[in-house]
Amino acid sequence: MICWKEALLGLAGLAATALPAAAQDGNPLTLMAYAGIFRENYAEAVVKPFESGNGARVQYFEGGTSSQMLGTLRAQKADPQVDVVIMDVTTAALACAEGLVEKLSPDTLPVLNDLDPQARQAGGDCGPGVTFDHLVMVYDAQAVKPPPTRFEAMADKAQKGAVGLAAPPNIQGLALTAILAKAHGKDWKDISAALPALKAMAANAQTFDPKPDGYSMILNDQIRFATGWNARAQLYHDQSKGRLGVVLPEEGTAFQINTINLVANSKHRDAALAFIKHALSPAGQKAFTERMFYGPTNTKAQVSPEAMQRTALAPEYRARVIGVDWNEMLKLRDNWNQRWRREVISAAPR
Amino acid sequence: MIGWLLAAPALAVLALAFVWPMAGLFRISLNRTTETGAMETALTTESYAKLLGDDFIRELVWNTLLLAGSSAAIAVALALPVALMVRAASPRWRGPLALMAIAPLLVSGTARLIGWMAILGDNGLINAVLMGLGLRDTPYPLINNWTGVRIGLVESLMPYAVLVLIAGLGRLDPRLEEAAATLGAGRVRTFLRVTLPLAAPALLAAWLLALVLGISAFITPRLMGGGRVFVLATEIYDLALEYVDWPAASALAMLLLGGLVLLMLLRGALARLGGRRA
Repeated sequence: MICWKEALLGLAGLAATALPAAAQDGNPLTLMAYAGIFRENYAEAVVKPFESGNGARVQYFEGGTSSQMLGTLRAQKADPQVDVVIMDVTTAALACAEGLVEKLSPDTLPVLNDLDPQARQAGGDCGPGVTFDHLVMVYDAQAVKPPPTRFEAMADKAQKGAVGLAAPPNIQGLALTAILAKAHGKDWKDISAALPALKAMAANAQTFDPKPDGYSMILNDQIRFATGWNARAQLYHDQSKGRLGVVLPEEGTAFQINTINLVANSKHRDAALAFIKHALSPAGQKAFTERMFYGPTNTKAQVSPEAMQRTALAPEYRARVIGVDWNEMLKLRDNWNQRWRREVISAAPR
Repeated sequence: MIGWLLAAPALAVLALAFVWPMAGLFRISLNRTTETGAMETALTTESYAKLLGDDFIRELVWNTLLLAGSSAAIAVALALPVALMVRAASPRWRGPLALMAIAPLLVSGTARLIGWMAILGDNGLINAVLMGLGLRDTPYPLINNWTGVRIGLVESLMPYAVLVLIAGLGRLDPRLEEAAATLGAGRVRTFLRVTLPLAAPALLAAWLLALVLGISAFITPRLMGGGRVFVLATEIYDLALEYVDWPAASALAMLLLGGLVLLMLLRGALARLGGRRA
């Protein structure tokens, strides 16, 4: 009998050593968000201070794109392995409608009252906006002089074959269409007003699907112009010592909002709520903005003027932000996609 | 009975790795996507009806067939001399030559495409030579269009075509060609009047296999099409990962699978026919 007990204890010991380190560290909460430079910077600026301040552990799970994260949430609906998810506003709206993420109110999360109304509205009843990003034009600062100020610089005949446009259904293509529609017409939803400008740019397009992305293609001398997201563009600008130029064009820009969500039936609900509270707090928002230039969604965040200047929330840029309703965009994008394919891309053969 | 027992492990793996996910995919295709884009559990054929009634999808079917059919034909045409060379080689060299012909399969498809992108790009090797020799003032567009996709696809399909042709040509009786030569036919005439007709079933089987692989190709049109090349596989990707419309993506995948199964059945029938004739 004693032998059996010893054997069982031995097996238990072996099992304990075989368990993943994460499980032995008190079963940490799992955050699912973007990979690459987002992870590098978010982990340093937001996750680590939370861990040291709360004595908790956060396991960062790279979920791929927002739609891949939605796929993970759908697949794990019966037994979620993720507690908090950061994803773009349109995909988050689907997760909210499908009951994959919890509804949040100021009663459970008072910090919601400190958020910019646009960030609060973005998540609907579910997770609010945690970062503001916006569409910019990126260019090769060594080859393009003087620095361009408008998207229409991409339509200059001298740039034939040197433009990378991300066509819909890519969200950058949708945002560019809305911005040009608003700039050339009155309503961002009227794609007809944007089409002449889009066709002129498309005539110079080398690709409508920059791979791996517009920033890398410019830095590898493959193209001279592309569209991009401000936060990443600012980071690449610094890393390339100014080779990658970034401009918020005069035609305007549109916010791309990432929301932070509490996964329904989370196994670590209290810890997840504490993390969301930290991510939305003035300190968490300030740290991430100053590190990666995403606009803060908490109005009480005291961000340095230098960092704020590199976001669309700087006073001189605010007026250029057009109000795109991304949930409305979901209804328009199929039609826009078809019009791009038939009227823009097909008119720009190679 | 013993045959079934021996096949049971493989069948179990197939059921787990292919049939079960396919059944899941089919089930998702019967769900509904609401106006807001959310997926709703249902039992409806709405996604199939929508896809079958969509002009753009019909255009994609045509694009896909044209791209895969023409690329498969070029691949088979390029594979035939290689297979003939392997057949004509001494038995000692046949193995190494066949291995060299299919060597591209040993390299990741994505890595090969990245290599092509470096060669065919506007700043790539070919354009550097053309412009260096003064033959072009501006780069010749060899990538981010249908041409680039076709080049990439032909290169990726060729090893498969070579394999099928080596197998098919290996069954031909060389005495028939020797008889033609004895009767006074030259090499070209022997090839056109004897070898080629006898190799027709193998050529067709190779083309059909390359066609099936070409129809389901995704990475090549995605990486080398520059957003200008729309085929069924890229549309499934967009529906699943850009629109997040899983029912539509699953329904299109099921329709594509159905078409490919039909083609494979046709290929099997032709292979049997070829086997009998040879």
